[in-house]
Amino acid sequence: MMPTIKVKDLRKSYPKRIPLPFRRVEWVEALKGISFKVRKGELFGLLGPNGAGKTTTIKILTTLLEPSGGSAKVLGYDVVSQAREVRRRINLVAEGERTLYWRLSAYENLRYFSNIYYVPKDEAEKRIRELLQLVGLWERRNDLVMGFSRGMKQRLAIAKALINDPEVLFLDEPTLGLDVQSALFVREFVERLVKEKRKTVLLTTHHMAEAERLCDRIAIIDHGRIIALNTPENLKRLVSEGETVEIRVRNLRPEKVKEVDGRLAVSEEDPTRGTLLRGNLDEEDLPRVVEGLIRAGAKVLSVERVEPTLEDVFIKLTGRALRD
Amino acid sequence: MAFLAVMEKEFRMFFRYPLRVVSSVLVGLVFLVQFVYFGQAVLGGRYSSILQASTGVGDYPTYALIGYVLWWVSVSPMEASVWGIRRELQRGTLESNVASPMGLLEMVVSLALSWMLMDSVIMAVVFLTGVIAFGVSLSWFALLKALPIVGLAFLAFLGSGLIFAGLVMIFKNIGPFAQIFEFLVLFISGVFFPLSTLPAWVVSLSKLIPLTHSANAVRKLFVGFPYSSVTGEVAWLLLLTPLYWLASYALFKWAERTARVMGYGGY
Repeated sequence: MMPTIKVKDLRKSYPKRIPLPFRRVEWVEALKGISFKVRKGELFGLLGPNGAGKTTTIKILTTLLEPSGGSAKVLGYDVVSQAREVRRRINLVAEGERTLYWRLSAYENLRYFSNIYYVPKDEAEKRIRELLQLVGLWERRNDLVMGFSRGMKQRLAIAKALINDPEVLFLDEPTLGLDVQSALFVREFVERLVKEKRKTVLLTTHHMAEAERLCDRIAIIDHGRIIALNTPENLKRLVSEGETVEIRVRNLRPEKVKEVDGRLAVSEEDPTRGTLLRGNLDEEDLPRVVEGLIRAGAKVLSVERVEPTLEDVFIKLTGRALRD
Repeated sequence: MAFLAVMEKEFRMFFRYPLRVVSSVLVGLVFLVQFVYFGQAVLGGRYSSILQASTGVGDYPTYALIGYVLWWVSVSPMEASVWGIRRELQRGTLESNVASPMGLLEMVVSLALSWMLMDSVIMAVVFLTGVIAFGVSLSWFALLKALPIVGLAFLAFLGSGLIFAGLVMIFKNIGPFAQIFEFLVLFISGVFFPLSTLPAWVVSLSKLIPLTHSANAVRKLFVGFPYSSVTGEVAWLLLLTPLYWLASYALFKWAERTARVMGYGGY
């Protein structure tokens, strides 16, 4: 069966300055040849730190950017030469909250987007009502978006992205900046879209728990390369059970961590609770590492063996935490 | 349908705020009043035989009012390109539009046309206020007769203004440059004073500006001249309109391609 999304050796470089004729311009490589396929009805995640190339990938697949090399097809259509065909069949929830017209109401926003997606009028009216009810904004349909909370705006952005009943939905960091309740709503909504409506979803996130919970398969992306691609369970098997350690310390400068042990990475910095280090350490190495931390001036508050997560996979593969 | 949707959206967002509409009308009137009184002071009265001899319209308020209203509308597509696209970028809505089947070109043309029509509404109010305030004699028949020329002029204005759509996509913050250009057009297209007072090379340059010909033609028709008296102006407009559209399209396509290499959001 033909994959819904097929990416082959995709490359993207950005010019540092406007590439005018007769001007020498330096280029920065953002994607260094990534390849993956997404099946119909699959929820596929791109997980990686900021600047890894996730948004660049999504922008190429949604026809907003032109790749520098390789190829990308969505539903069998080339994203460069058949951009219009691709656009009719997909939609996107872009990163950030300002993707809607704040001076229009929720209803007016959806009507505008239904028009620019050429949804027939009768069908559009029906769909707008259904979508606003689905995201819990029907009662607020005539209110201007500028009065909405961040979570309400994101729910409306998702409704907007479904206005053309897309076969493929791209979600770029859909829960970024949302409160816990709104993030939960978005995650459950996305899950339902895939399970009940058989939509294909490509989601980017740097939120590991989100990727682990939602995605059928995950590609971990770093510095423009896919460094691992598998189901969340199989990815976690890359880290042997029982070897993941969390060490909470105080008085340790982050740059000292790698000097103590290259397998450790800073997972969290909290001025009141201290710095949380995470790493994949063998049983016999642990006392030596703790000793090393103390010698480096750290006050060790706790040492704990924990279940491996995708972050541990990332640390194991790159030697860094996702937040770095 | 997409084109109408952009227009509806722009009209809704503009006319939803009455204060914004009123202030636009007031700004239009303040400039007009200043220019008309200044011109009359220089001429020593509202009627000028020099003006009559060189342009066919001797009544200064009539001369200035028509030129001014057309100038305002003529720079609308440029303003839409420069500020309208920038606003979409600031709102974060440009990519949502570009990623739709409508595409960027249709969006930009629709935006420019919307702004031109909104400014036409504003200028219709300014024009009628000017007619009453300065006692300009208004013939509805002459006004109707001028409409085909106004329509042709609008097409030319759109073509020339859209050059800026390509420029703004590449050079981002070209607002100040566009403003200089707007006032240059005001100065060298004979809006407030006849071109015969300017050096020959400026007069030649002014021929490349659609406003020069449209203002001349509309003024002549407004004071009762027949269509045969404006064939020269119409010929210029028919020549300039496709040229500007072609230049705009070529520049726009290059800019769009460059934006797809650099990213639309990187403004």
